[in-house]
Amino acid sequence: MSESIMKDKVKNFFKILCQTEWNATVAGVIVALLSILIMAWWRPWGAVGAIRNWGEWILYGVGLFDKPGDVLINSGSVIGVGFLAGAFISACLGNDFSFKFPPPWEFIKAIIAGILMGIGSAFAGGCNVGGMYNAIGNLAANGFTMWLGLIIGVILGLKYIYWEMEHITWGTSGGKNIDFPYGLKIVIGIIGIVLVIWGAYQYSDMSDNYAASLSGILLISAGLGYTMQRGRWCMVQAFREPHMTGDCTLAKSVILSILVLAVGCAVLKYAVPQRGSAVAVQSVLMDAVDELEPDEIQDEDLADAVEDVVDASEQAVIAARRVLDPVNYVRGTFGWGGVLGGFLFGLGAMFAGGCGSGTLWRVGEGQIKLWLVVPFFGISNALMVKLFKAVHMEGTGATHEGSKLGMHLYLPDALGYGGTLLLIVLAMTAWYIIVDWNEDSNKLIVEM
Amino acid sequence: MSDAKIAPEGLEVARTLDAKGLSCPMPLLRTKKEIGKINSGEILEVLGTDPGSRNDIPGWCARAGHEYLGEREEEGFIRFFIKKK
Repeated sequence: MSESIMKDKVKNFFKILCQTEWNATVAGVIVALLSILIMAWWRPWGAVGAIRNWGEWILYGVGLFDKPGDVLINSGSVIGVGFLAGAFISACLGNDFSFKFPPPWEFIKAIIAGILMGIGSAFAGGCNVGGMYNAIGNLAANGFTMWLGLIIGVILGLKYIYWEMEHITWGTSGGKNIDFPYGLKIVIGIIGIVLVIWGAYQYSDMSDNYAASLSGILLISAGLGYTMQRGRWCMVQAFREPHMTGDCTLAKSVILSILVLAVGCAVLKYAVPQRGSAVAVQSVLMDAVDELEPDEIQDEDLADAVEDVVDASEQAVIAARRVLDPVNYVRGTFGWGGVLGGFLFGLGAMFAGGCGSGTLWRVGEGQIKLWLVVPFFGISNALMVKLFKAVHMEGTGATHEGSKLGMHLYLPDALGYGGTLLLIVLAMTAWYIIVDWNEDSNKLIVEM
Repeated sequence: MSDAKIAPEGLEVARTLDAKGLSCPMPLLRTKKEIGKINSGEILEVLGTDPGSRNDIPGWCARAGHEYLGEREEEGFIRFFIKKK
């Protein structure tokens, strides 16, 4: 008797972990925590870094580009690989995976979507993740301009879809689905988990620090992919639903997620440099070395060792700055670039039926339409970014001096950390109240 | 997912929408449009493959006031049944 109860409990546990759709609020908080962790580990995550790298490989394949960074070494690409793996594992274990072939018209929309999203994320300095979610989370002003553009783009995209349903009849039905036995999917899902863990161990064994750090990147991004597929956590839906059905569940979840993320990032960015161990160790070390008067050390081995220690401390400071220097994740797109980029991206995401991250986790569950979005997204973004670099569209240097797309503004420089957090809290509160009010009043719904 | 509401057998369907292979938000929007073509009390059947529809369709029915009768799993797709208010 107790054995069968135990069996039921194990079954229930598997169901909650792998089969049922996770509550949106819980998924949003987990996404925020993983986003903070990946930043504490190394760098914020994004979807377009991976997609662009893959686009560059296609362009390299046809002879247009120089050889890009290795798919399994470029940190942006590894984030995408981990994310896809996590989403695929989740889709297999939850029996959501199958090859879903859309009707022909959807393929045309996928191509348009990919091109628009690639161009949009070049203007905005990132997709919905790097350009909006992580940008606001990283206390960068440009996150807000993309946010504004996304709303406008999504509303226009919704109007387009309504128009399409009235006027386009060719190729809108006749989709196919190729499914596999659930037992097989569970086995493949488990093999997927083993491969991700094996991959992380492979990275951590590498002698190069950069490559070794990819172990955590792979694991955390797999966690992000798993969570987002399991919760069907889709940012474009957060922007779209309030205007389509009035439902604001995902909008509220994204709002909460951004708040948790912003607090976490503020802690990392403010507190760590204040008590930055690398900086502290270096200054103590330099004082000690100065007292030793290194030039006068007679023992050659000792002199070499002291020199090595000084070098290592300098490297540590550089690494600490690279990880946490706010300048690295603020883009020069706080202005028309962010708004236009958000608009084009939002419009593209409506054609695609998924944003940057939403596209990737849908690829992981076998949606063939989104498989087609990715290469067009990658190619158009790679070309735009190359063009923008050639004409210094986003200015030069880490602070985007002379950017034509907008300002480079790290909000705490203008408002302090307290003021920045207050601004983000106020903006998110306003967004929350508006979508909640709209859920009852339906005032912002775009009618069919 | 095994908690999904199962529709009774032998429902008399007034109209069928083929949304197979379509992804979010198309299945729901097409459903919204198709339901306008049947009379109150009649049943619309939606054939879909998007896992998201399992949440989207019942959720939308609750908001719009239609009665969600449940789903039936077929080989490679799911049938959703909605009774118009």
